[in-house]
Amino acid sequence: MDLYVWGGILAITLATVVARTVLLLLPGQLSWPPSIDAALRYAPACALAGIIAPDLLFVADSGEIAANPKLWGGLVGIFIFATTRSMIATIGGGMLVFTLSRLGLLPF
Amino acid sequence: MPESVQLAHPTPREAFNRGMRELLPAGPGVIAWGIVTGVAMVKSGLTVPEAIGLSLAAYAGSAQLAALPLIASVAPLWLVFVTALIVNLRFVVYSAAVRPYFQSLPARYRLSLGYIIGDIMFVKFTNLMQNEPRYHRPIAYYCGGAVCNWLIWQAASIAGIVLAKEIPPAWGLELAGTLALVALVVPLCRQYATLVGALISATVAVLAHGLPLRLGLLLGLLSGMAAAFWADRRRDAGMGS
Repeated sequence: MDLYVWGGILAITLATVVARTVLLLLPGQLSWPPSIDAALRYAPACALAGIIAPDLLFVADSGEIAANPKLWGGLVGIFIFATTRSMIATIGGGMLVFTLSRLGLLPF
Repeated sequence: MPESVQLAHPTPREAFNRGMRELLPAGPGVIAWGIVTGVAMVKSGLTVPEAIGLSLAAYAGSAQLAALPLIASVAPLWLVFVTALIVNLRFVVYSAAVRPYFQSLPARYRLSLGYIIGDIMFVKFTNLMQNEPRYHRPIAYYCGGAVCNWLIWQAASIAGIVLAKEIPPAWGLELAGTLALVALVVPLCRQYATLVGALISATVAVLAHGLPLRLGLLLGLLSGMAAAFWADRRRDAGMGS
């Protein structure tokens, strides 16, 4: 069992290294159509949006979409960042609203 | 403007420090995520040394969490490998985007730079390259932020592993990590095409949430990129240019 677990750790590590570096290690000029380059410019925003939306919308217990404290915290976070440009305020304010809502101290 | 001339030619140390400085506001998010991942590793049955080993070696939160149930059920190792690989496919997209900037470096540097790539520093680095394409020390900048992210993440993850029994899941610490990403994505969405891409990616990721192995995220990422590209083209065509 022990050795198997360390084998699993090695497998996860290898998979991560491969995914992160295979395109960087391929030698020579890799060329792809300019449209791919243009689309890659949008990768950061699309990746973030694709991570955030399910995190906020799905309720962990039921696995269903519902209005929930995380969603309120996230929406308040978006508002705070749009008005203050401060990441710390976004994290702090969002967590505060989430916690108050979770404890039933807010009307939503 | 002498100031901007000076900014365009920072020393490696100045660029490294700038990367660190720009990563630090996301620190609370990284800490919260690291703790949550550490706790989850112990809860899924790893011993403390195993969990610390996995965290230090793999440095891949969602792949670690996706593959752990397989290890708990003693699944074949190739399946563990494939699962982690699929969960990590977004990094292939990230490395395609940064390849032009790393291309001229020796292989061992490309290996290490790729190994420490993460969501936050990827966004920060591509922002810098788009806003200041002539920035003189992009690699040092990248290293500053990425190394800082690695250290914060590992410290938090190890704290989570050690304190696993003291941290109730109801605290919802993982939301702090999500909020850090919210703060990163909002300013990007001021551009029309980017906003379209982000909305499509979010929608597709939610609709495909039932897919295993975080394939919903990959599907969202790819369709968002395609949608943004298309929106950009359409707008150019519409303006008659």
